[in-house]
Amino acid sequence: MVKLDDIKKECKSILEEGKVKYIVGYKRNNNYYMSIPAFIEKIEETDQLIWDPTCVYNLVRFLRDEKLRKERQKTPDTRPIGVIVKGCDSRAINVLLQEKFIKRENVYIIGVACEKSGVIEKKKLRKKFNEKNIKQIEFGKDNNFIITTEKGKTTISAEEILAERCIECNNNTPVIYDVLLGEKVERSLSEHFRSLEKFESISTEEKWNFWKKELDKCIRCYACRSVCPMCYCDECIADSISLAVKPDTTAEEKAQKIRWVEKSPVSSENFSYHLIRALHLAGRCIDCGECERVCPVDIPLRYLNKKMEKEASEQFGYTAGLDPEKPALVSDFKDDDPQDFII
Amino acid sequence: MEEKFEPKIIAFLCKWCSSAGSDLAGVSRMKYPPNVVPITVMCSGSISPNYILSAFKDGADGVLVSGCHPGDCHYIKGNYYARRRITLVKELLEFIGIEPERFQMSWVSAAEGAKYTEIIKDFVKELEPLGPQNKLRSNL
Repeated sequence: MVKLDDIKKECKSILEEGKVKYIVGYKRNNNYYMSIPAFIEKIEETDQLIWDPTCVYNLVRFLRDEKLRKERQKTPDTRPIGVIVKGCDSRAINVLLQEKFIKRENVYIIGVACEKSGVIEKKKLRKKFNEKNIKQIEFGKDNNFIITTEKGKTTISAEEILAERCIECNNNTPVIYDVLLGEKVERSLSEHFRSLEKFESISTEEKWNFWKKELDKCIRCYACRSVCPMCYCDECIADSISLAVKPDTTAEEKAQKIRWVEKSPVSSENFSYHLIRALHLAGRCIDCGECERVCPVDIPLRYLNKKMEKEASEQFGYTAGLDPEKPALVSDFKDDDPQDFII
Repeated sequence: MEEKFEPKIIAFLCKWCSSAGSDLAGVSRMKYPPNVVPITVMCSGSISPNYILSAFKDGADGVLVSGCHPGDCHYIKGNYYARRRITLVKELLEFIGIEPERFQMSWVSAAEGAKYTEIIKDFVKELEPLGPQNKLRSNL
């Protein structure tokens, strides 16, 4: 089991040496059991750091913000920033490296192995406990979580409240890191595409009804886009205002700007938006589950990305974020890619 | 008398093979259903999934993507890229519940005018029982 003291010690030492500008980690939220992201700049602040099953966030997202901030500064601090990553998050860094969005020397990766457990899913937790009573959730022994409520401590098997993505996870150990904390352990509970099984047996019409019901709920708040570590395009296709309007831009040019997706949250536009997003994340999504977590209307967005991941893996033998040197899924091909469907 | 449903097909044809193939079908006076609207693109590899989704959104009942046979691409490897990308689009469309018949891909060379007419004939035949595509049609 990863000891919190090890994480603190490591963070202290790299801050002392001045290796990093700051460290992005997790800290406790006041009066709430979920953790929040922490930005640690001073050595004494490292005591705030925590490591528990509520560290669900993918902190790799902040590398994008850091890059943009650096570009705006005249004399930026070129030291790397430290980031605490789980197995899934480390693959996100790999994808960003593969796409040459960030440079390896700009990030100091503190890998934390999930070992045999993972992080919780709030939805599952809510079914079993009254959220208001929960004070704290900790890792216990033998793949258990210890939940502290007002009444006392309860031990619960991790699988009961473990996030679906953690159950399906194959990378409980970070694949890229400067320092690794925790042990490399094989896990027994991985069934990689378990959540997609229920779609295999249902008919086309049932699939449509399911997605129609789910995607019609979308209010187009773009929270999924804002939280995604891979959504870093300067111009998103979903923003129809993204035409650079200069003094000499004519009205005709503005009118002729192609709008692939309209802003209105109606069925067809929601489908366009989510399908385009799923396709844009094909071979890039590392299944950190953040889009689904932040969705205010609980659309199961993970299924779309998981489906793409499944096809990439089964048809092309490609898994996102394992090797930053390899070409990306859609910028590569093999002579014997499957083509049975082509007439 | 009830009007018979005539499916509308948008066909993205690559300039060097499939478009020339459809031309050959035309100049050879081969007959095929007039339900297809061909759009010539420079290469099947240049077809963005956006094109396909927006075709469905603007009311296409079926979409055909057609390129050169593997190895024959004018740009050496455009159709290989297309093959991967279109596989993903097809799987995703099936996953959200669009009938798989509505989206097809084919290899048609410049010499295969007859094959092109056959593909269109079969496509129309497959689309007729499905009726109009209203799932992705724009409802703005």
